[in-house]
Amino acid sequence: MTLQRPLRHYLEAYAFLGLLLVAALFFSLWPETGETFTSAANLRTLVSSNSVIAIVALAALVPLVCYEFDLSVGAIAGLSSVFVATALAGGTAVPLAIALGIGLGLLVGCVNALLITRVGVNAVITTLGVSIVLAGVVNQKTGGISVTGDIPLGFSEFGSSNWLGVPKIAYVLALVALAVYYLLEHTPYGRYLYAFGSNREAARLVGIRTKLTLGMTFLISGALCGAAGILQVARAGSADPKVGETFTLPALAAAFLSAAAIKPGRYNVAGTLVAIFFLAVLNNGLNLAGSPEYVSNYVNGVALIVGVALAVRLGRRQEV
Amino acid sequence: MSDEADHRAGRTGAVPVLEVRGASKAFGATQALDGVSLRVERGCVHALLGGNGSGKSTLIKAIAGVEPADAGELEVRGVRQNLCAISPARAREAGLHFVHQQRSTFPDLTVTENLAIGRGFDTGVGGRVEWRQARRRAAAVLARFEIDADPGTELGRLGPATQTMVAIARALQDQDGAAEGVLLLDEPTASLPAPEVTLLLDALRRYAAAGQAIVYVTHRLEEVYAVADRATLLRDGRVVGEVEPRQLDHDALVELMMGRTVEQIERLRGRPEGSTLLRGRGLAAGTLGPVDLEVCAGEIVGIAGLIGSGRSTLLRALFGVLPLQAGEVRIGGELHRIDSPADAMAAGLAYVPEDRQRDASFPDLSVGENLSLTVVPDYWHRGLLNRRREHRDALGLFDSFLITAEAVAAPLRSLSGGNQQKVVLARWLRRRPRILLLDEPTQGVDVAARAEIYELIHQAVAAGAAALVVSSEFEELARICDRVIVLRKGVVAAELSAADLEAEGIAKVANAKAAA
Repeated sequence: MTLQRPLRHYLEAYAFLGLLLVAALFFSLWPETGETFTSAANLRTLVSSNSVIAIVALAALVPLVCYEFDLSVGAIAGLSSVFVATALAGGTAVPLAIALGIGLGLLVGCVNALLITRVGVNAVITTLGVSIVLAGVVNQKTGGISVTGDIPLGFSEFGSSNWLGVPKIAYVLALVALAVYYLLEHTPYGRYLYAFGSNREAARLVGIRTKLTLGMTFLISGALCGAAGILQVARAGSADPKVGETFTLPALAAAFLSAAAIKPGRYNVAGTLVAIFFLAVLNNGLNLAGSPEYVSNYVNGVALIVGVALAVRLGRRQEV
Repeated sequence: MSDEADHRAGRTGAVPVLEVRGASKAFGATQALDGVSLRVERGCVHALLGGNGSGKSTLIKAIAGVEPADAGELEVRGVRQNLCAISPARAREAGLHFVHQQRSTFPDLTVTENLAIGRGFDTGVGGRVEWRQARRRAAAVLARFEIDADPGTELGRLGPATQTMVAIARALQDQDGAAEGVLLLDEPTASLPAPEVTLLLDALRRYAAAGQAIVYVTHRLEEVYAVADRATLLRDGRVVGEVEPRQLDHDALVELMMGRTVEQIERLRGRPEGSTLLRGRGLAAGTLGPVDLEVCAGEIVGIAGLIGSGRSTLLRALFGVLPLQAGEVRIGGELHRIDSPADAMAAGLAYVPEDRQRDASFPDLSVGENLSLTVVPDYWHRGLLNRRREHRDALGLFDSFLITAEAVAAPLRSLSGGNQQKVVLARWLRRRPRILLLDEPTQGVDVAARAEIYELIHQAVAAGAAALVVSSEFEELARICDRVIVLRKGVVAAELSAADLEAEGIAKVANAKAAA
């Protein structure tokens, strides 16, 4: 209350980013982890492995702005990675395989969109159902075994090499983040999404074509997840049929947490990235310190709840 | 002491049943309440009167413990408490009963359940809810409050007016004869049509006569004159007077409330130019129709009728919110097929809905974004949204629509109800629509702003637009319309021309028994 408004606003917006820096600084200076944490190899792994999850989180962010949950994000990324890896191993040209991955994402997104906007099934239920079906598709395709085979060298090299010292995958993330940021903040469509999220009946009454607007978010989400699946193949050089499922929760958590950073009270792109890398640094540091795996479960779960609670409070405090 | 004795003591000012002293509350840089005191006596309807954003609702929320005050003291029936420490539970314990401005009922639950939630369920063996008893009790409450609804109906299926009445009934259901507590009503008539307002005011007078203390928040002077024994006037978060309204005339009260004189609003009239702008033939939607309709450029046509007469349905069907089952719409002579609000907007229509909270406000978006949502594509230039121009235009609209907001970037929900309504109007009028469809355009708007809104409608019409105005205030229709169409049971019951436009006349036709 006593703080000047601009200062308080500044604190609210950047507190989470500050936490990320503090965590990074802590693990750099702590003798237990300092040496390994700051090593180029560790930082690159950290960035490249989380870039894929970050893209999945950005995918989940788009429907979330409309207050709709896409629980199928991880499953779509998994589907894409398995089919792309199989195609590449079977000798399909790289551009064609990329088109296949994104096309599959679009296709599933389209199914989600039609079920939600035309049939009127609740989005949580639709995407949960679709993700279970996709898990079945992936299992049928792979028999539960990783797709290894001959992934073209250039392709997997892209996933593991650097440009100017930074993993190439991180550049893809930057491009995707920029595109989603542009979409949400600088196009009428983005403005309509936020309006839709705030009051969908009122959105319809100001002339927003609500079914189209909402349906498109699932298409965009699907396409981005398809792209994330392709990058996962490039990074790992193979496709693990289980990898998709492990993306869903951290990605959704980061998308939720985005409302606690940069633009308090609003789901946003920069906040999503801060959240992803905050959790990544925390987990990486604890890992290096040799803490058992359950500790990271505790940390992730608590961070999600605390972060969202914080966002709710920030949103309420805005009620000047 | 008998109730009667209490009652008399209250009238002489001896027994304040509710007293608030030095209530203060700041929201950021805005001092919403600044040392406000309020003294309410038994058997008295005490109006809390003030313009938009004067702090009326904030005070009620502070007393209710919904948004605790920063400082102040509360005394109910001689028990003194710190106002900052009031919680909703404590307020209820102390005997304060509230009906807030926002929806506090549960649209998905039945009327019985809504009423029972206010007082707790009667349970039988094993915690089983005694549904039969609850239903019987609900039916009795509904009968007592003259609410025409079945106890088993989901509340959301009732009209907004009936829903408000159920909320009031819920707060009052255990109060009859008790006269112990205080009933605090925050603009309870905001969405009630005139006949039901009368019903409600009658009921309030009845309760006051039985010794009930009532705090009545409003900005409608007619209601203050009709029901209030005393009034505390608020302006900019301060008490500017405590008066007996019946001792003051209308202008003096307005001047006290607004801090300046409001010139008598001239009877505004459009000048019909003769060319028909909107023509509807055989329009039917839901229970509406068939209705024929013709509106000329430069004309303001009122639509009167009770809730359920089809007046809102007509506007919604014209705007493409509800599908037209039959009929054709011509705009400027051209046949238009309107299937969605987007189609309607493209045809030059604008629609301000009746239920702002449900249909028009984007509470989390900024005031600026709320203003620009109808014209977003205009700001999209070379692949970017021109935020600077958007901001500048928003400030311009603040000026021309007298919107009071802390900033363009402030969320809409931080504005008072009247200011939100002005934002919604500004959002549509800025498009310079050819045809304005306005459903209760001045709901929740104070006297001064109301005159401004009439003026804005008038300007739009003078520039060649046509307006269809639905209002449950017949005085409003009589004042601004060139012509009033009265709907009853979905069809046109009468059409009154300028010469016949008197509020009582409209009321008589609208209220006439449908059988007649």
